[in-house]
Amino acid sequence: MIRFDNVGLRYGSGPEILRDVTFHVLPGSFHFLTGPSGAGKTTLLRLLFMSLRPSRGLIFVFGENVGELSAGGRSGLRRRIGIVFQDFRLLDHLTTWENVALPLRVMGKKEADYREDVTDLLRWVGLGDRIHAYPEVLSGGEKQRAAIARAVIGRPELLLADEPTGNVDPAIGNRLLRLFVELNRLGTSVIIATHDYGLMEQLDAPRLVLTDGHLQIR
Amino acid sequence: MTLLNDIRDYPWTNLLTGLLPARLAGMLPARLQSKAAQIVPSASIAGHALTVVIAIMSFLACLTLGAVYMVNQSANAWVNDISSEITVELDPINAADIEKKMTLVALFLAKQKGVNRVKPLTAEDSAKLLEPWLGQSSALQALPIPRLIAVEIDRSNPPDIQVIKSALTQNFEGVTLDDHRRWQAEIKTLTRSAALAGLAVLSLVAVATIAVIISATRSAMVSNRGIIEVLHFVGANERFISREFERHFLGLGVRAGLMGAVAAALAFLLLPFMMQMLGGGAVTAAETQRLIGSGELDLKGYLLCVLVVVVVASLCMITSRLGVIRVLKTYA
Repeated sequence: MIRFDNVGLRYGSGPEILRDVTFHVLPGSFHFLTGPSGAGKTTLLRLLFMSLRPSRGLIFVFGENVGELSAGGRSGLRRRIGIVFQDFRLLDHLTTWENVALPLRVMGKKEADYREDVTDLLRWVGLGDRIHAYPEVLSGGEKQRAAIARAVIGRPELLLADEPTGNVDPAIGNRLLRLFVELNRLGTSVIIATHDYGLMEQLDAPRLVLTDGHLQIR
Repeated sequence: MTLLNDIRDYPWTNLLTGLLPARLAGMLPARLQSKAAQIVPSASIAGHALTVVIAIMSFLACLTLGAVYMVNQSANAWVNDISSEITVELDPINAADIEKKMTLVALFLAKQKGVNRVKPLTAEDSAKLLEPWLGQSSALQALPIPRLIAVEIDRSNPPDIQVIKSALTQNFEGVTLDDHRRWQAEIKTLTRSAALAGLAVLSLVAVATIAVIISATRSAMVSNRGIIEVLHFVGANERFISREFERHFLGLGVRAGLMGAVAAALAFLLLPFMMQMLGGGAVTAAETQRLIGSGELDLKGYLLCVLVVVVVASLCMITSRLGVIRVLKTYA
């Protein structure tokens, strides 16, 4: 599904943030991506999401060489990936429901076809009573859950999450992890970037550990 | 072709909601309104300042284009008028019986092919022509004023002026023919210069309008960068994102362009009255008409204003698309 071959990345003429990163992500797998702050976790996620180009090496996403894809081709692949940002990236002028429905709208689906699905998912993540609320009145944890719901609503083949439980209490964190596991059981590959060892302890999943730009799989 | 496809796929039934301010758009029937929430909020695009700036530039562009068109029309009318007439002048010094000679020359001219009408001017008429320079004076009657015959020619079947000129010289002493060519050339040079100056001003206004629209559109795009990013990250392609922005910028362009064009049209309608008021009665309607034609735009002139609206709206739309592409290029 995902293949990195000797990938290196540097910003401008600065030092390499990632060095000779090589790994595979198989369909239906579950990975944690961890490492100290500044190790390059977010950068690696951005490479996975094709919003950065590597300085060297090859990246294959869903069997396609990303370097050879057009902008349209990359957009098509992005629709098969769900991403949860550390800073949520919700649109302030849209309600929680509209934010979560955005990927489906972008796919060109009709509102009548997904109205119930979006509402059900929001209830599942504990935002059933915040459907019509705007992001500015949501707490950090609620925003996090809305962002996760937006990432998974389109049933992505790959889910990338950057510190998805960073702003929620342990109970909600466990519930979100269950959501990720459930999605994984349904066939979605999941990569969660996290510092939260408690979260990683709950699941026996391979860990991609970044240290000084080098990746080790444990 | 993508742009053509976008025009075809544009939600035209919702166009009114894009054209009207949000408050008025909310009062439209439900079938004309988009059910889904706007991904790009109108308020982030069509701020009052941006609308006013584009409306003012559209107004100036319409005003300049209309003025150039009006001067051009007026100049054409002048040239057409004088090219359909020639003047025959009789020297009063060598003529013993000037009135008899006038009649003979007029009869001779009337017989020529391509001559529609011959109008001999009386001595009083000729004296009146000198009044603007010499004033009303009885001394004029004592002066040997040349007598004139105005000849209206058929412009679709014009006579051979050289043949008439030679025939007049051979048959009548002291008779000359003026076909106004020199004056026509001078008027053509003058009006062409005025039209060129107008076009130069129009070019400057057009460049300034384009620059203002591009700059204002870019600013609006920068302030919406966050929305572009989110749409990009949820898998929206360039076409989807640019269409979301284009519909707002198209509405903004049409609305602001119309405001400018309507204001310019009103200015053109009021122009003759304003000139009369500013002239304190010294500038009569006839004089105004002589200078700038009727002082009002004809249908073609108003169509030029509509063209300005189309250009302004297209410019807003295209600039927004280029803005989206530029932001998206900053990603991989």
